[in-house]
Amino acid sequence: MTETATLVAAPPRNRAGGRRPKAGPVRKPTSRRKTLTAYLFLAPFLVLFLTFVVAPGIFGIWMSLTNWSPFRDVQQFVGLQNYIDLFTPGSVTSSDFWKSMSVTGIFVLISVPFLVVIPLLVAILLNQRIRAATTFRTIFFAPYVLGVAVIGVIWGYVLDTQSGILNHLLGLVGLPSNLPWTVDVPWVWVSLVGVTVWWTMGLNTIIFLAGLKGINADLYEAASIDGAGAASKFRNVTVPGLKPVMIFITTTTILASANMFGQSYLLTKGGPGTETRTVIMYIADQGLSQNNMAPAAAMSYVLFAALAIISVVNFRLQRERVEKGAR
Amino acid sequence: MNKPWARRAVSAGIALAVGIAVSGCAASGGDTGGAVSGDGEYTGPDVEVTFWHGWTGGAAPKIVPELIEEFNAEHENITVKAVPQEWADVIAKMPLAIKAGKGPDVAVLHGDDLATFAAQNLLQDAGGIIDGLGYTAEDFPPTVFDKGNFRDAQYAVPWSVTPLGMYVNKTVLAKAGITEIPTDEASYLAALEALKGAGVQGEWVDGYVFTGTFEFQSLIWQFGGDLYNEDVTEATFNSEAGVKALTWMTDLVKNGYSPANVAQDGNIKALIAGETAFNWNGVWQTTNTAFADLDWAAAPVPQIGEEQAVWSSSTHWVFPQNKGQDQNKTAAASVFVKWMNDNSLGWAETGELPAANTVREDPSLLEQYPNLEPFMTELEYARYETVSPGIAEANAQITLALNEALTGKKDPQTALDDAADKANQIIEANQAKYGD
Repeated sequence: MTETATLVAAPPRNRAGGRRPKAGPVRKPTSRRKTLTAYLFLAPFLVLFLTFVVAPGIFGIWMSLTNWSPFRDVQQFVGLQNYIDLFTPGSVTSSDFWKSMSVTGIFVLISVPFLVVIPLLVAILLNQRIRAATTFRTIFFAPYVLGVAVIGVIWGYVLDTQSGILNHLLGLVGLPSNLPWTVDVPWVWVSLVGVTVWWTMGLNTIIFLAGLKGINADLYEAASIDGAGAASKFRNVTVPGLKPVMIFITTTTILASANMFGQSYLLTKGGPGTETRTVIMYIADQGLSQNNMAPAAAMSYVLFAALAIISVVNFRLQRERVEKGAR
Repeated sequence: MNKPWARRAVSAGIALAVGIAVSGCAASGGDTGGAVSGDGEYTGPDVEVTFWHGWTGGAAPKIVPELIEEFNAEHENITVKAVPQEWADVIAKMPLAIKAGKGPDVAVLHGDDLATFAAQNLLQDAGGIIDGLGYTAEDFPPTVFDKGNFRDAQYAVPWSVTPLGMYVNKTVLAKAGITEIPTDEASYLAALEALKGAGVQGEWVDGYVFTGTFEFQSLIWQFGGDLYNEDVTEATFNSEAGVKALTWMTDLVKNGYSPANVAQDGNIKALIAGETAFNWNGVWQTTNTAFADLDWAAAPVPQIGEEQAVWSSSTHWVFPQNKGQDQNKTAAASVFVKWMNDNSLGWAETGELPAANTVREDPSLLEQYPNLEPFMTELEYARYETVSPGIAEANAQITLALNEALTGKKDPQTALDDAADKANQIIEANQAKYGD
């Protein structure tokens, strides 16, 4: 759910924007007109934001406090019952919900390191003065433009247990050729993380690359003069220089991984059993397929709270490090 | 910056947006009750009839517009306008559209969705229409018509049925020296054993809806069990028959007749690739173009248990109870339904069997589509999906149990018991949600 990300990211932006005019000089009428013009230009986005993010968000809160059904004329207010159910072991939704939360948690834990480290290394390689760097950049970015449905179909063929290309190739080099890539644990996790890395690493790579280009070349030169080697330059110039980019990438990657849906929906159907049914998949199923919209709305807000906490913690931790690094 | 101004603007915006959202959702449903009648004729003023359906794949996108064009040409005062969209979208959008008076005048739904819609007063009681059109249960394969019956009212007219059958790759079967397609447990297991001797795993069994769940359902009925008790207040798929059915499936893997960990559709791919001999799959596969190069045949699923039974799905015509529904449109829609059923012979092209007996028994159907023959014979004993609002969620637990048993996470009894516990909770919640 993209609105989660927007809501999480929104507050600091607003605050920063609100502070500036106070510090400025006394405004003349012309500048007031300019401000008005600016707001007019921002208005279309604001309308979309209110209609598609804020209003559904508020409506969702209300929905989660009722026994909302799309079929009924009158919805009954049930207070926090939907939330209480989620935290009551043995209720219809609680065990499945927390199972799917843990599935999402596992996916975040095992995918985020790869989704950060691999693009970083690729970006460093691409940042070298090599031939055809642009071509390689395109190659790494290309999968990102594909839709998840396409990814699902392609990898469904590649990863099929009996007739998949991957198992066939493994068989040719004498490895087991019957690995259940999309059917059984732990292989499903390898598949899901592998496919996700292949699919989305291009974006993080490009952002890292932009960050690398932004590091002043003089710093490397100075480091060389001081006798620093490649490893030392990486540790003392590259890593500190990339820290702001790193915050952005880890935050967005954690949120993106926590919102994983399509890969497991298409490749593993959430299986075996419910081992890879992510929380978004479960919420979508409950809310949209089973018409349990009220519990689904409550689950969305529990997930939202969890992600908000993680994002804030992540932000604080990394900012402290940046501030220390700056000193 | 004039802060109060901005704050007022923002809060006004929010209030407006919320207002729109709330009023949009507060739109109340149509008038209840209101049985309509029709007699296959419509003489009222010119009307446009909106028709929603989910036939977006295969031959349907060509056939449906052709049929509708023909109907419109024959009926001066009726214009049918079709709105095709994915089945999932039809199901998701229709309730709110009907409540807002913007739903279709006629639609096609799958059998297992009928009760969910009927329970919410989204459909018109079609008893009067059906009497007017002169339909009775005898005009359709056994028990299909009753699937449109919910709480003593008839809401639907059958349109098509899609039973499970057994697809056979004859080239592979010949490798084991078998020429006769098996029909019962003894001959089926003998064939699987012979195939195993020839190095072929004869039936690849999967733990997904397509088609492991359909196979399981066929088997539990064959073993004399059922998925739910009669009034659908309790799951019974963990009964002795259910455990037998699932054990029979896991034994296929244990005895080496099936590989372990078959992915979804892995078995039909294997049949086409010549790696396996049998695949239990729906009648819709008769239109699979990948079969063109195969020496294949379709047959009724073998009788493994004590009774003859096979899973089938069905689709039905319904007449939505839109807010302020124009009865002229409903009457015109009923003419359309009757005409479509009468002219449904070509529907076999899509890999579904027309439900109307008169059409199906027309010899020219089998002349054109000889592969449908085994599926037609199955209709004598085919069983259809459970009628109960919200049952799809409970059914999902069955697939879960299959998946867990076939991947060795749980033994069949435990998997089914756990699934039944969960299904019972869901059924109970459904009773609260949809009333009874």
